[in-house]
Amino acid sequence: MTAPDPLDVLIVEDEVLLAEELAFLVREAGLREVGRAMSSREAVALAAELTPDLALVDVHLRDGPTGVEAARLIVQDVGAVVLFMTANVARLPSDYAGACGVIGKPYSERAVKTALAYLEVCLRDGRAPGPPPLGLTLSPRYRELWDGGLAETG
Amino acid sequence: MNDQPEAGLPGPESGAGPDAGALETALAQKSALLHEIDHRVKNNLQLIASLILLQSRRTADPAARAALKTVLERVAAVATVHRRLFQNDPLSFDVADFIRDLTGDLAASAGRDDLEIALDLDHIAIPAASAAAFALVVNELLGNAVKHAFPPGRRGRVSVRLSNGDGLCRLTIADDGVGLGGQPPGFGLTIVKLLGQQLHADVQVEDAQPGVRATVIVPMTAVPKPDRASP
Repeated sequence: MTAPDPLDVLIVEDEVLLAEELAFLVREAGLREVGRAMSSREAVALAAELTPDLALVDVHLRDGPTGVEAARLIVQDVGAVVLFMTANVARLPSDYAGACGVIGKPYSERAVKTALAYLEVCLRDGRAPGPPPLGLTLSPRYRELWDGGLAETG
Repeated sequence: MNDQPEAGLPGPESGAGPDAGALETALAQKSALLHEIDHRVKNNLQLIASLILLQSRRTADPAARAALKTVLERVAAVATVHRRLFQNDPLSFDVADFIRDLTGDLAASAGRDDLEIALDLDHIAIPAASAAAFALVVNELLGNAVKHAFPPGRRGRVSVRLSNGDGLCRLTIADDGVGLGGQPPGFGLTIVKLLGQQLHADVQVEDAQPGVRATVIVPMTAVPKPDRASP
């Protein structure tokens, strides 16, 4: 048995310092950063090229509040799991554009790390190991999809 | 309907109220503006936190690193306030939810998963204007317990109680660690004292044998007003 491949992560964030910091947290969580995008077009193109397992997507990008549409395309066309990271949690559509959930900004180091660890298990097992950690809100669809673990823990 | 003409609002000359469509447009613009500012504040706080973190990772000196980390925790406490502020009612702030968030952050930041942190929290809403001051007080007291009460290897328990009664918000943070040990109070406790004054709070930090017990009692009525002159 070999160790499972780390998850490939695409970072979609137009603030370079936040992207830099996020990349560090991704590495620290044992995941692999495969690319960074700053605009929605770049994000969709990179996602198609790199086929990441997970895309971390800000709502406000270089070309405006285009993160939601970018997320929808990445989910539909690439099949990646998308996690929003935004200060605009209230403005997400009710279906989360197909994304698995959201972390509200400003987030803490701990919130991102625990969320990434949690999502890694969810993606690997296809079910949640328990309720999501503080700071991570799952979309209704993914809450249902990963419900296995949630039902046990209550 | 209010008969007084409202300054700055477009409307018919007399009689009927202001034009409803124009009012709605004005309201929508205000609301969009508020969201934009909220969004920028949150993003900028995130930026400040990231800058401090990136700097601390490039700092070799342990003392400098520790100082940056402490600054980061204070900034993060204020950032957490802002994240929570606009979630529900923008004018009030739920202290219990905040403490729950902060506890996780502080324990993780200290790398102490061997501490039991018992929370017994009533839901108390304080005015948004006091939120950052209160949050920083909680951050210092809880941070002191998590970071200084238990030397590495020593397990322990920190209990946090928040209750409301007789118009007073009462916060108690107690640990069963090493106690104050006659050490001079650090900058953290200075922050607590100063902000306690700002909140018109009664603050006590004492040796409880074992450990330290900190009590903060804030009158819910004495909301710090935007005074022009302080006494």
